[in-house]
Amino acid sequence: MKLGFTPAEEAFRRECAAWLEAQLSGPFRAIRGATGLVACVEQRLAWERVLGRARWSVIGWPERYGGRDASLAEQVIFAEEYARAGAPGRMGHLGVELAGPTILHFGNDAQRERFLPKIAAGEEFWCQGYSEPNAGSDLAAVRTRARLEQGPRGAEWVIDGQKTWTSLAQFAQWIFTICRTEAGSRGPAGLSYLLVPMQQSGVTLRPIRQITGEEEFNEVFFDGARTPAEYCVGRPGDGWKVAMGTLAFERGVSTLAQQMRFRNEFEQLVAAARANGAARDPLIRQRIAEAWIGLRIMRYSALRMLSGGREGALPPEALTYKIYWATWRRRLGELAMDVLGPAAEIARAAPYEFDDLPRMFLASRSDTIYAGTNQIQRNIIAERALGLPKEPRGDR
Amino acid sequence: MQFTFSEEQAMAAQALRELLDDVCSGADLRALADGAAGHGTARWERLAAMGLPGALAPEAAGGMALTATDFVLLAEEAGRAALPEPLVAHAGVAVPMLAELAAAAARGNVAQALEQAAAGATIVIVADPCEPFSAGLDCARRVLAGAGPEQVGLFARDELSVSLQASLDPLQPLARVGVPAHRASLLPDQPALARALWQRARLRATAFAAAELLGLAARMVEIAVNYAGERRQFGRPIGSNQAVKHQLATVQVQLEFARPVVYAAAAMLADACTAPPESPVPALTEARIAQARLAAGAAADLAARTAIQVHGAIGYSWELDLQFYAKRAWALGVRHGERGALARRVQQLLLGGIIEPGPDRLFLN
Repeated sequence: MKLGFTPAEEAFRRECAAWLEAQLSGPFRAIRGATGLVACVEQRLAWERVLGRARWSVIGWPERYGGRDASLAEQVIFAEEYARAGAPGRMGHLGVELAGPTILHFGNDAQRERFLPKIAAGEEFWCQGYSEPNAGSDLAAVRTRARLEQGPRGAEWVIDGQKTWTSLAQFAQWIFTICRTEAGSRGPAGLSYLLVPMQQSGVTLRPIRQITGEEEFNEVFFDGARTPAEYCVGRPGDGWKVAMGTLAFERGVSTLAQQMRFRNEFEQLVAAARANGAARDPLIRQRIAEAWIGLRIMRYSALRMLSGGREGALPPEALTYKIYWATWRRRLGELAMDVLGPAAEIARAAPYEFDDLPRMFLASRSDTIYAGTNQIQRNIIAERALGLPKEPRGDR
Repeated sequence: MQFTFSEEQAMAAQALRELLDDVCSGADLRALADGAAGHGTARWERLAAMGLPGALAPEAAGGMALTATDFVLLAEEAGRAALPEPLVAHAGVAVPMLAELAAAAARGNVAQALEQAAAGATIVIVADPCEPFSAGLDCARRVLAGAGPEQVGLFARDELSVSLQASLDPLQPLARVGVPAHRASLLPDQPALARALWQRARLRATAFAAAELLGLAARMVEIAVNYAGERRQFGRPIGSNQAVKHQLATVQVQLEFARPVVYAAAAMLADACTAPPESPVPALTEARIAQARLAAGAAADLAARTAIQVHGAIGYSWELDLQFYAKRAWALGVRHGERGALARRVQQLLLGGIIEPGPDRLFLN
């Protein structure tokens, strides 16, 4: 048990902070503090490339793929300094946090060589093709089909179907997706994890507008979309195992960056409460204190969770993490509305654009839904962590 | 003692529900929100044909002379439909205030405005000088406003500075209302009466907002129950999972326990309104209205949150009509006094020595 950092780690912290400060008070001043997924896109894509060139994009990865072989402590430090500096939300996060680690752990050497350096360099962006209209909580109900065909460029997967709730698809060159590759299979069996190029005639997008008024999600339609046979991660038919591995990375080091975003939101809320006098209300004060306590709890449990993890796997307590942060942030959104009072109702701009805190309230309603609803999370905790009998199903 | 509604009251509510099912569906709301349709003058005319704009106006002014107890079910129906036009603000709040003003100020133009408002020919809303923003100014042609709480004036909308702003509720923009300083109050020598009129208007607005919140909560439960019965995951309807059905049952409990509080508040409001306007509203009535608004607001907020959660990802998409009801509930929930201020009303009743707490006092009205 060691909570503090060594002198060498503190020196590393100064190095991170200095580089970030130079960039964000210089060429990238305009995107300092940019949140939301779709604001200032061009500059943020440029920012990803600059991070990549300076090897700050994926510091935990091996050097040969563009990382720094950074220790866990160093990754923690960088995540903290990144947020402290007000660096923008990562446009590349689906590649950096999900596709990359999945390919690193489950892919073969050829796939690593082909994909990882481009992710690290900010040259290729990714999106995630898991959910379908009828495969939400029941993710294994995937219907999108893929079959192998001999084409002019050799064996290729040919894909037909529809994915939904795909964030950042409009900026992505690649999608990692699970498809049914064994005809007649059901549930988790017979799925394969395919890497598919987005810029082809067989892939079309339709944006989905959210209650915040923004369009962050998309429907992705595959209509005879193609990808080389060798871009299947893991063996064909083993896609479910790989997909679950990806979800575990979602609870990995990226949780630290997420916590720092939460901290920024919390501080914004406190500033608003001071400014409008809500901070004098004893009930608000109490809830602010509770929010802060929750933030500290999340930080400690993330550090514990990460310290105890093995490669590509997380300790059982990681199962409890999603429901905790999701519920915490949703409550923070509610607190923000109570702090702002009637002013929360007014849009910053027509037709429907809000300041950070009201937007956070609206957006936070999705936290307890995406990446496994709270109800699914409780089932996972009850069944996998506690070993309770499985919920009965209607289909098998 | 009779804690039920009469057949006429229930039938009027049913008639309004049928009308709004017809002219204020989710598709109608979406067309308005997306700018594909303007405000429904046809819809307002149908409401006027039922006599609703003048529901609370005196018969002499062409109204129906109903009471708050009659109106509470109608406000609930307006909420249930997330009606974009300010029927509740007009008929429930502005028209009664106009009637009180006409009686006190005895000016011809006020009496005439009352008749026009009762007929639904002009929409009038109240811009409470103690509230930062007012809704309904996108529809209203006349506004009851004041440069401060001791002044009351009746203005044409164009005489005021009104800046409409998009708001959380995509169907109801809000506005800050600026009153020209040079315009004299209609009650220049009666600042206390002016204060009393504003207070009554605020109480009506609060009580009927509580009723709207009940309707919104019930509608959202209905939408979520339908979806939970249809949407299948893991080979069965998601509503067959306790994790889902218990959430909805919890909302239903909260809603059914809010309902009688709102109805009781309306009955007390109706009683208080039989007294002359300058006589103070009993603290108990004020507290009961605050309590009703708190209870209904909590039920509607829980209904909104739960309905979104039950829908899963589609629940936070713009494409689902649910957002209109949820956002109306959230918007109403921060108007007419924030939760702390409303709770203080109840608290003052007990701790301010207005009623002594104790088991023998529990059932003293």
